[in-house]
Amino acid sequence: MKNKLLIDIGSTYFKVSDNENLQQHFRDFNKDIFDDLKYKCNEILEKYKKEDIYICSSANGGLSTLIIGTSNSFSLKFATNIAFNSGINIIDTVLYQDIKTTSIPSDLIDVVIIAGGIDSVSKLFDEELFNYLEQINYSNIVYVGNKNDSEELSKKIENLVVLPNIINNKLQVNEDELKEYLTNLYQADIMGKEDIKHLYDITSNQIYPTPYIVNKTLPVINNMLKVADPFILVDIGGATTDIHYSTTLVNDNMIKNNEYDRLVFKKLGVFKSKESLIFAAKNNEFVYELLANMNVTENIFEEQSDKAIKVLMKLAIFLVLYKVSEAHPQYVHLKLNLLKSIVLTGGITKVLKDEEVEDIVGFFYKKILNSQIKPNIVLDSNYEIWTLGITQK
Amino acid sequence: MSLLQEEREIIVQNEYADSFDFQEIEEFVKNASKNLFISHNFKNKNKMLVQPRGGFPTYEKQFALNEFFVKANVDVLPLTIDSNTRLNDYAMAKKMLRLSEENEVDMLNGYPLVNHGYRTTRKMITHFDKPVSLRHGTPDARLLIETAIASGIFEIEGGPITYLLPYSKNFPLDKAFLYWKYVERVCANYSKLNEPINRESFGPLTATLVPPCITIVIQLLEMLLSLEEGVKSFSVSFSQTGSVNQDIVTSAVLKKMAKYYAKEIDCEDAQINLVYHQWMGAFPSNKDYSESLINTSTVIAALVKADKIITKTRDEAFGIPTKEANAKTVANTQYTLRILQGLPNIINEQEEEILTQEVKSIMEAVFNDSADTLWRKVFNSIKNGTIDVPFSPHIINNNEVVTVRDKDKNIRIIKRGNLPISDKCFEYEKSKCNLNKDATSIVNDIIHDIGIMQ
Repeated sequence: MKNKLLIDIGSTYFKVSDNENLQQHFRDFNKDIFDDLKYKCNEILEKYKKEDIYICSSANGGLSTLIIGTSNSFSLKFATNIAFNSGINIIDTVLYQDIKTTSIPSDLIDVVIIAGGIDSVSKLFDEELFNYLEQINYSNIVYVGNKNDSEELSKKIENLVVLPNIINNKLQVNEDELKEYLTNLYQADIMGKEDIKHLYDITSNQIYPTPYIVNKTLPVINNMLKVADPFILVDIGGATTDIHYSTTLVNDNMIKNNEYDRLVFKKLGVFKSKESLIFAAKNNEFVYELLANMNVTENIFEEQSDKAIKVLMKLAIFLVLYKVSEAHPQYVHLKLNLLKSIVLTGGITKVLKDEEVEDIVGFFYKKILNSQIKPNIVLDSNYEIWTLGITQK
Repeated sequence: MSLLQEEREIIVQNEYADSFDFQEIEEFVKNASKNLFISHNFKNKNKMLVQPRGGFPTYEKQFALNEFFVKANVDVLPLTIDSNTRLNDYAMAKKMLRLSEENEVDMLNGYPLVNHGYRTTRKMITHFDKPVSLRHGTPDARLLIETAIASGIFEIEGGPITYLLPYSKNFPLDKAFLYWKYVERVCANYSKLNEPINRESFGPLTATLVPPCITIVIQLLEMLLSLEEGVKSFSVSFSQTGSVNQDIVTSAVLKKMAKYYAKEIDCEDAQINLVYHQWMGAFPSNKDYSESLINTSTVIAALVKADKIITKTRDEAFGIPTKEANAKTVANTQYTLRILQGLPNIINEQEEEILTQEVKSIMEAVFNDSADTLWRKVFNSIKNGTIDVPFSPHIINNNEVVTVRDKDKNIRIIKRGNLPISDKCFEYEKSKCNLNKDATSIVNDIIHDIGIMQ
């Protein structure tokens, strides 16, 4: 940490930290990120050399990714996992056997990942794949499936990048090459984005996605915070909410170097995706009880006040826990009854107090899990998680 | 408050567990009867300790089992934990315990210690005033071990490798190492208050054609991981391999290497004991043969001068043994041990030399891994196949090593995978086997071997 300046560019706030102080600034959306940062933090920026400034960012929303795989249990699951842990946002996954009936995404996709099969199998893909790819609009495409099909696919798909298979013959995951490819692509994406690329004027270090940095920190989180495993880390941002979780909480068949995974809730933020958060809240059968517990009515959703922001943040905590609980079958189901700690990071830690978070988590455990015992709550108020992760090589 | 103590406060917060009074527990351990400590028994009882297996769901049945064992002259009482608790599913254990209490049928295959709680269980443990060994198979045993020690159980079996690779398919191995590190620290801390808490590794592993070099390496590594956290009493163990000669060689090398490596990390003051498991493979359906097999195990335990023997029963092929069958095997084992006095020392220099070289090569490769901590070196070594347990169900295991028996029933390595044993040792291993057979015959031999004692 010594003599280093650390900057996290979020969709709503900048966080700037050195070993003396930590600042948080609300972004001015009328300015580009670089100008805004220079305007607000010039004094501190001028104190540091380019090689001592480290930046991570989730501000440009990351890369949008589509994954095509031949099985849910292996290729799709493995590729999804690697993409999430690289800080990438997944817009959709396609099971290859359903490719004919799958709707075509209209958005521009930054990267398509094709995965499937162990190296000893072959001829998993046919014309259906090429027909599908012709209809979608993508910038990059990477193949991480069985070795035998790679030559044929390379011939037929223009600009296909072929990387080693993410599944070995023992059905174990090989994540390194795809992870590196995706983080480099993210870097290239940043370089190409007008409002981010100028950030390289102030740093000579690589700019990484914030979730990638957080994921790197989790195995050593105990060095800084009083956290007992299994734990989840919830990062409630302006646009999205991320949960990083200990894989002890799921029944998984993957063995990786880092036993922590990430989930992204793209529509659960308290600023940019505020409307979808309110929509989700209104559709949750427990939320009115929760509002009563907070001593507010649903009119709070119409308010523009500090109090309303607090309520939204509390709702976000409740809703993400709800979405990964047994009560909600659509997402990964985490065994929350085994959970020992919940760590909260991001802007939320500057707004909510310990007891307010405890109150919401206690409500969730009592109402949804019928348990009087709740996990230990830890607020990462000084952004120690990303400051450690960003300086770790 | 230390970070460990803060973590402990979080771990014991569980709606199915007693509320923990750490100060009271410390007082209890400090003043506990020395007879409850197996480490004290190892030092002062001038005989091989005999310990059966066993665990029933209800307090009453467990109490009755212990009464039977005491009458049969048991040295160490067992407490086998049910499989729901092993998976940290205390809610299901609670439900099944209630059903077991209300009906005649046992709905759990062991004692749900966390649900019974330490205040209740301590009454039973102190009543019998004999050391109790906790047998479980839990990768995350943190709450279980806190409850066990608070109950007066001062002998904890298991380890991050030996309770994971044979028992689990996908529990993360790095988590297992960290959770067991917690266990070791708790055991080490309590050891300062009275006699040392004993930690015992589980040597049988998959109990199927595991070559002695693998067993020994894993025993040594779990011992080192435990000692480096401050544990002062550790038991290495292995089970009957099926070859009397190989058991004698294994015990000699294991004892010698355990002392050597403990000294290497400046832990020669720790007490190291040897535990021998009676046959852990498939049992014959003929009960008379089973008794003969158990008796042979006892003879071997005497030959290798084990400090403790863990018994099996004549009913093993037919499900969970009754308390009567368990008590009978304890009494028979004690009888056999009494008549086996003054056995000669048997030494097989060539086999010992080969096995020592194999163990040293693997240990060196583990130590040479570039990771900065021992547990991470071991984790990497398992991932890359430097350590490879045959027939392990865990997805991380390399499963490249193939073993068969030679004509004298010794387990030999015929495919070494990534095991870093020298060409000389590997050639020696292969030279003992008939490898002119086709692959199908060798596979058939392996399948047949799984039922070797039939």
